[in-house]
Amino acid sequence: MANLERAPRKSFNDLIYDLIFKNYVWQSIFRTGYPNTPRNQMLAVATNVFLHLHPTRIHRTHVKITHTYCLGGLSFFMFLGLTVTGVLLMFYYVPSVERAYQDIQALEANVRFGQLLRNMHRWMAHAMIILVLLHMMRVFYTGAYKPPREFNWVVGVVLFILTLLLSFTGYLLPWDQLAFWAITVGTTMVGSAPVLGDESKFLLLGGFSVGPNALIRFYTLHVIGLPLVISIFLAVHFWRVRRDGGLARPL
Amino acid sequence: MVSRAAAAVRTRPRREREQEVLVWPDLVFIEFISALIFSIALMVLSAMVNAPLLNRADPDTTPNPSKAPWYFLNLQELLLHMEPAWAGVIVPTIALVLLAAIPYWDRDTEGQGVWFGTKFAGRLAVFGFTAATLITSLLIIWDGSLHVVWTENIIRGLGLNSDFSWPGGLDWFRNLRGFDTGIPWDSLGFTIGGFTMFADWRAIPLGIPGTTTDPWLLNLNFPSFLSQQIIPVATMVGLPVLFVLFCKALGWIHTRRDIALLIFSAFIGVYLTTTIVGTAFRGQGQDLKPPWDIVVLEE
Repeated sequence: MANLERAPRKSFNDLIYDLIFKNYVWQSIFRTGYPNTPRNQMLAVATNVFLHLHPTRIHRTHVKITHTYCLGGLSFFMFLGLTVTGVLLMFYYVPSVERAYQDIQALEANVRFGQLLRNMHRWMAHAMIILVLLHMMRVFYTGAYKPPREFNWVVGVVLFILTLLLSFTGYLLPWDQLAFWAITVGTTMVGSAPVLGDESKFLLLGGFSVGPNALIRFYTLHVIGLPLVISIFLAVHFWRVRRDGGLARPL
Repeated sequence: MVSRAAAAVRTRPRREREQEVLVWPDLVFIEFISALIFSIALMVLSAMVNAPLLNRADPDTTPNPSKAPWYFLNLQELLLHMEPAWAGVIVPTIALVLLAAIPYWDRDTEGQGVWFGTKFAGRLAVFGFTAATLITSLLIIWDGSLHVVWTENIIRGLGLNSDFSWPGGLDWFRNLRGFDTGIPWDSLGFTIGGFTMFADWRAIPLGIPGTTTDPWLLNLNFPSFLSQQIIPVATMVGLPVLFVLFCKALGWIHTRRDIALLIFSAFIGVYLTTTIVGTAFRGQGQDLKPPWDIVVLEE
């Protein structure tokens, strides 16, 4: 018997939707459509390489903005933004005493959005330090360092130090008066250590004062050495958040 | 003996599945929005305010004042009030070690996961922060000798004594170095049974073996040691102890968590005050100045 009911005609919107989201290429990237059932939403988090840092479900108090103010996540977001803008800056910057300063000038004057790029990197770096500090205060005042999270608090303190060091090593790179003298003052403080003070200062600067060796050392630490180290500690930090049972909650 | 792993499980709260929400969309949405807000805010900031770029670095031209990056200005501020080894290295190292050690000392799992978990937490935090900010500011004013300037100006201004100046007998109270330069150390030697003790306070022989190369260890300059090391360190140790005793007397402290709350809040107050003073209130020669009077000279 013939089917008397005609299939409803597709609207224009549905046609566009199908064209974009139901074609072969899109479905090779995103195997399923928008996850609109609880099961699929959990699968979306658990099977996505970027989202699987999260658990699939979370206690309702932890999604309240006022519980965390997103401070840890935003610190990490600043790190990501700094990595992106930092890589772009590396295209235009050569860490030599002869070129560093004029490279920054050229970046600001000749490169399209060059000034904006540099500003973004600078302000994001400051924002990251402030956010990390606020994150530490949030964790402290919510008592989230208590057992079993002792070790992750220590990892957090290390991450705070690494954040400061990343910012400090980047501070020298523009090779202007501000950079030069700030690093001179900073490394002089290191040199006043009672044991191995002069030795650590020499190691940091590659000499007795801020010069070409210091610039290349700070540059290398800033763009590869410290980012690698901080990435490892970040991985441990995030891993331990999950292993220690997610965010702290009253017993 | 309970194993660490078992203890970790025990200290975990019970899972309440009915109280849970899905990470997608509830959390992912919040993360996305907050990242978006920050991206836009920083984009706007960067479009409006340029990152500073001064003249090319010149080792022969020293700016006055020379300052470290702002997040180290708290340490540079400390540097003005004590021996550089303490300010630049020992104090920050101890502070970071103590910070990292908090959870190994305060192990009680009560009160975790909520803001200000104990009964008097709010008061302790407010008191610690406010009192530390106030005391730090007063100490900075005192070591900057502003009380001398203010006293002189007030007494002259009131017409009580038009050429009043800080009395010599109070020179030791001008600032921290007053304990070094304002006390007549040379006349403080005394004689016991024919031996003159401390004839020279500035070169007290210590006779530590094997230290012939280091004049500091060979002969102790006591007045300088007192003003640059003993008093600053005693202040940094003593004030937190006083804070704890005071709050204990008020009945606000019952657990280690309370002590941690008090000291951490005081630390935040000191950290913030020294950073702000170092950033905005230090002019040429690191003198205390209001922010609008600060000019950077190149010398």
